[in-house]
This record gives sequence, structure tokens and C-alpha cells, in this order.
Amino acid sequence: MLNFINSFISQTITYAVVYTLTSLGIVISGRAGIFNVSGEGIMLASASIGFIVSFLSQNAILGFISGMIMGALFGFILSYIHESYKVNQFILGISLVILGTGLSDLMYKLIIGVKLTAPRAPKTPIIKIPYISNIPIIQAFLNQDIIVYFLYFVIFFAWWFYYKTKIGLETRAIGENPKAADVVGVNVTRRRYLSTIIGSMLIGISGAYLPIVITGTYTPDISAGRGFMAVGIAIFASWKPQRAILGGFLFAAIEVIAFRLQVISQKIPYQFFLMLPFISVLIIMMIFKKQIEFPASVGKPYSRE
Amino acid sequence: MKNKDLFRVIIIYFLSIFFAFVVISIIAVLFRYDVIKVLRTLLTTSFKTSFGFQETIKKTIPLIFTTYAFTIPFMIKFFNIGGWGQMLFGGTITAVVGLTLPKIGINLPSFIMIPLLIITGILAGGFFALIAGFLVAKFDINPIISTIMLNFVAVQFLNFIATNPIYRDPYEGHPITLPLPKSGTLGFIFGIPYSIIFAIISIIFVYFLIKKTKIGYEITAIGYNLDAAQKYGINFQKTILITFFIAGALAGLGGTFEVINIHKKLIEGFAQTSGAQYGIFGVLTSLIVAGNPIGVPIAAFLMSVLLVGADALQRTMQIPVEMVFLSQALIVLFIVTFRERFLRRK
Repeated sequence: MLNFINSFISQTITYAVVYTLTSLGIVISGRAGIFNVSGEGIMLASASIGFIVSFLSQNAILGFISGMIMGALFGFILSYIHESYKVNQFILGISLVILGTGLSDLMYKLIIGVKLTAPRAPKTPIIKIPYISNIPIIQAFLNQDIIVYFLYFVIFFAWWFYYKTKIGLETRAIGENPKAADVVGVNVTRRRYLSTIIGSMLIGISGAYLPIVITGTYTPDISAGRGFMAVGIAIFASWKPQRAILGGFLFAAIEVIAFRLQVISQKIPYQFFLMLPFISVLIIMMIFKKQIEFPASVGKPYSRE
Repeated sequence: MKNKDLFRVIIIYFLSIFFAFVVISIIAVLFRYDVIKVLRTLLTTSFKTSFGFQETIKKTIPLIFTTYAFTIPFMIKFFNIGGWGQMLFGGTITAVVGLTLPKIGINLPSFIMIPLLIITGILAGGFFALIAGFLVAKFDINPIISTIMLNFVAVQFLNFIATNPIYRDPYEGHPITLPLPKSGTLGFIFGIPYSIIFAIISIIFVYFLIKKTKIGYEITAIGYNLDAAQKYGINFQKTILITFFIAGALAGLGGTFEVINIHKKLIEGFAQTSGAQYGIFGVLTSLIVAGNPIGVPIAAFLMSVLLVGADALQRTMQIPVEMVFLSQALIVLFIVTFRERFLRRK
């Protein structure tokens, strides 16, 4: 039983890296007023480049860094086109999803090509804390790869930044009322750039995490809709970092449960378990409908006049 | 539209396509492909042989349906990314009905069976889109999210039917259903599927719907100004539901024709190979024409030319088809950017 709980939590945390980093990335740009629906595209492009780099260099960390850079690039394109030309954020986001989807397979096929055996990603370093990492249950949290620790850091940092620092407060203000923030001297455009790029970098890392850690190899369409589910999480979290984190863990758990039931269950066809995470996004959004609030300016372009 | 605007629109399209081809050429040079041959294959495959042209039309037909599925809700500022799922669901239910009827001993003649299957596709696709419409009208859930979630549900549902022992063809290696009865399938004329007739009917239907009917007028009014439209007594929620139903019905119809005319059975791979393509390119095509329903057939045809060219590139030069997907996403990015830059400046 203890073993079961341990492996369940441990697996959930691995998936939570993907969901939480992505939805936090979306929350961060949303806080500054940019609704980034291109998460899926960023994840795919970063997954591909992350896998390619880590495979060629045999170094997982380099893979994560290149995924992060790919994310930053997408974030820059999104904020640049939006801020300079006021293109609708949803149109932009959807185009970037398709761009990322095309880019991911293209890069993989051109650089790695078709191989008889699927190439494997190098091992990601695992960090153990002496003594503590051997205690059951805690083991599930503290016997993990380096990106999980990065996730813990990001969670703490996001909370500290948005609730304890002046810059964080100002950034939240941009999402609510960009004009007022501008009047008191906050450079709205620059903050929007920064927030979108940093948010997209997190999404990039989570994208690279998929092939390097979770599956160990690259397959087309590897994110399988998780980028869009993260948008759902960000919405039902009302763009609050702490709720996005909870949502990330919740959906990670749902995915793991669906996966395990699929193995155990004989009567119900497995396809219905595969539908489960997607349907639960919709159900949870329906349940939390009353509590969902959007930052007032999210999705709208800002110009000074 | 004023002449000056028309001129600008032409310049925008020209520049966007030009830039996208520049990007393709750069990639081709980087990976040491013959650039001239790449571009020639991409643009002329559809017109060189009658087979190429037939393939282009075969792709244009479903693309018209999925493009409308995005375009009509887009006119009231909603994003229906679910053309893919609605198409799959329409196709799947059509296959279920087409296979179940003869199984339980009902053998209908063609002239009843075909209309029945078409209506099935319309209702199934419409119902599937209506879920998203209902979620946005009643729960304010952004259709971008709901339609995409439903896409994945539709993929699994198709998978479930294709692998189901009742329908599955036991002699096939991949999950494929038994073939539909002869009376439930459509044929080809000069290599062009009969469904082209229904595609043309749909084009006329959408034109009349938007330009000549009350509901079309309401859609246009909401698209211009929601607040004003509501003040004049237009029921926004009802319009949402109707637009989503029509969108899904058209996408479902596209799925039905793929099943009864092209494949003549339900193939599991339909979800990924054709379904995903038409779903994604429906969105792109619609964005290219800025949600203008009149431009849809032309844009869908041109898009299919590139798709057929992409297949040819893969066959003859081993260039991944994704290169063309990439270029089409770039075309859209350039077009929406230039459009904003040159047309909306006040």
C-alpha cells in the first residue's frame, strides 16, 4: 500500500511538472494582460528542439535550456506582433500553435530523420537529499529529477514575486488596469514583453520535459492537448498562481488515475479513460464558473492614447 | 470595398505568400534541397496531371466544410477550433448508422440510404458543436478550450468504434471497420467525388444564410457590435447556439462524405491523417480570408494546391510535409499582421 501511494504521488509529480509549469506560464503572461493560448505550440516546438539538442549532446540540461530558448522565441514573437500591430491575441495564439506543430515534426525529421529504433534521451540528473529522501511518502517528493526541484522553486518564487514584491504588485496591476499602471510610471509594454517571454520560457521547459523525462523519446504530437488543458487550468484558476499550481497537480493526478484505470479495467473500453482528462477540464470549468474572474485587461491590446 | 483597399488587400496577400516562400526557400537551401524544384513541385503538381487535379479537388471538398465550420462562429467572434472533432464525430456516427442498419436486417435502397446518412452526419456534427455552443452560452466557457477538449473526445470515440468487435474488419491489421454497404456509398465522376455537388450546395447555402436570411443578418449585426445588436432585441445566446449548430453540421457533413465517398469505411487513421489536416487547415484557411464566407472556396482550393504539392514533395524529394504546414502557418501570421498594419490604421 505504501509503495502504491509512493509511486502514485511520484508519478503525479512528474506529470504535474508539465501541467503546472505550462499553466503558470500562461498565468504569468495573463497577469500582464496577454492571453497566451499558444501553449500547445510552444510545448511541441520546445519538445522537439529539447529532445534533438539533448540527444545530440547527450546532456539533458542542454535540452531543457534549448527548450526554454525556443519558448522565449515564441513568447517574443507573440508579444512583438501583438504589441506592435495589435493583432488579436487568439488569432495569433492559434497561428502559433499551428506553427509550433509544423516546426516540431519538421525539425525532428530534418535533423534526426527516420530511425529504426527510437533514439533515447539521456538521463536527467536526479537529486537526493541524504536521509530525508529515504522516508516513505517524502521520498515521492524529494527523490526526483532536477526539473521537479526547479518546479518547487518556481512555485515559491511566483508566490513571493506576485504577493511580496512591488514589481509583482505592479505587474498584477497591469492586468487589471493598464492605464492606471501607466500613469504611475510603469512601462506597460515592456512588462508585457517580459511577462510573456518569461511565461513562455516556463512552457518551453515543460515541453522539453515531455520527451526527455516522461516518454524518453520524441513522438509526433507529444503534448497531446496538455497545452490547451493548461489554458483551461489558467482560466479556472482565475489567473491566480496558487490556484494554477493546485490545478496543475489536480490534472496530473487525473491523468495518472486515468492511465492506471485503463490498465486495470477490463469492462470499460480504454478510450473512455483517455477522454477523462479532457472531459474533466470542461466539468471543472462548469463547476467553478461562478468563481472565475479574468484580469480586466486580459486579451485586450493596450495603446497609450 | 474601395479600390484603394482592394489594392492593399492584394498587396498584403502577395507579400505574405512571398515571405512564406522565402522562408521555405531558406529552409530548403539550409538542408541542401534544390530550391527551384521544391517550389515548382509545390505549385504545379495540381495542374500537371489529371491525377494531381483530382487529388486537389478531393482535398478541397472537406476543407471547404471545415473552413466554414470555423468561419461562421468567427463572424460572431467565437473560435471554433473543433472542426476536426465535429468532422470526426459526424463521420463516425455516419459509419455506425451505415453499418448497423444492414446488420439488423434493414437494407435500404440508395436513394433513401444516402440522404439518411447525410442527415445523420449533419445532426451528429451539429450536436457535437452544440455542446461547445451550450458551454459558452450557459457557462461562458471559451470555445477555444471546449472545442479542443471535444476534439480529443471525438478522436477517442472514433477509435472506440473502429476497434469495436461489432464493426471491426477482422481481416485488417489496423483498426478499420467493415466496408459500408454498396447502397450507402457514393462514387466518382472523372475521378472527382460526387460529394462536390454537396460542397457546391453548401457554398450556396452559406451565401444565402449570411446574405438573405434573418439569422444571417443577426450574425452580421452581432459581429459588428454586440451591444447594439442586443439593444435591438437580438437574442445573443440563441444566435450562439444556431451558429455552432450550423458550423458543426457542415463539419459533420464533411466527415460523412469522407466516410461514404472517399474511404467507404471508417479508418482509425482518419483521425490523424485527414481529420487533423482538414481541421487545422480549415482554421488557417478561414483566417486567411478573414472569416469572409465568400472567399472560402477559392482559398480552400489554393490551400489544397499547396497540400497536394506537399504530398508530392514528400514522395519525390523526401521533404517532410510539415515544411508546408510551417509555411502555411507563416502565411497566416504574415497576413494577419499586415492586415492589421495596413488596413485598420485610423
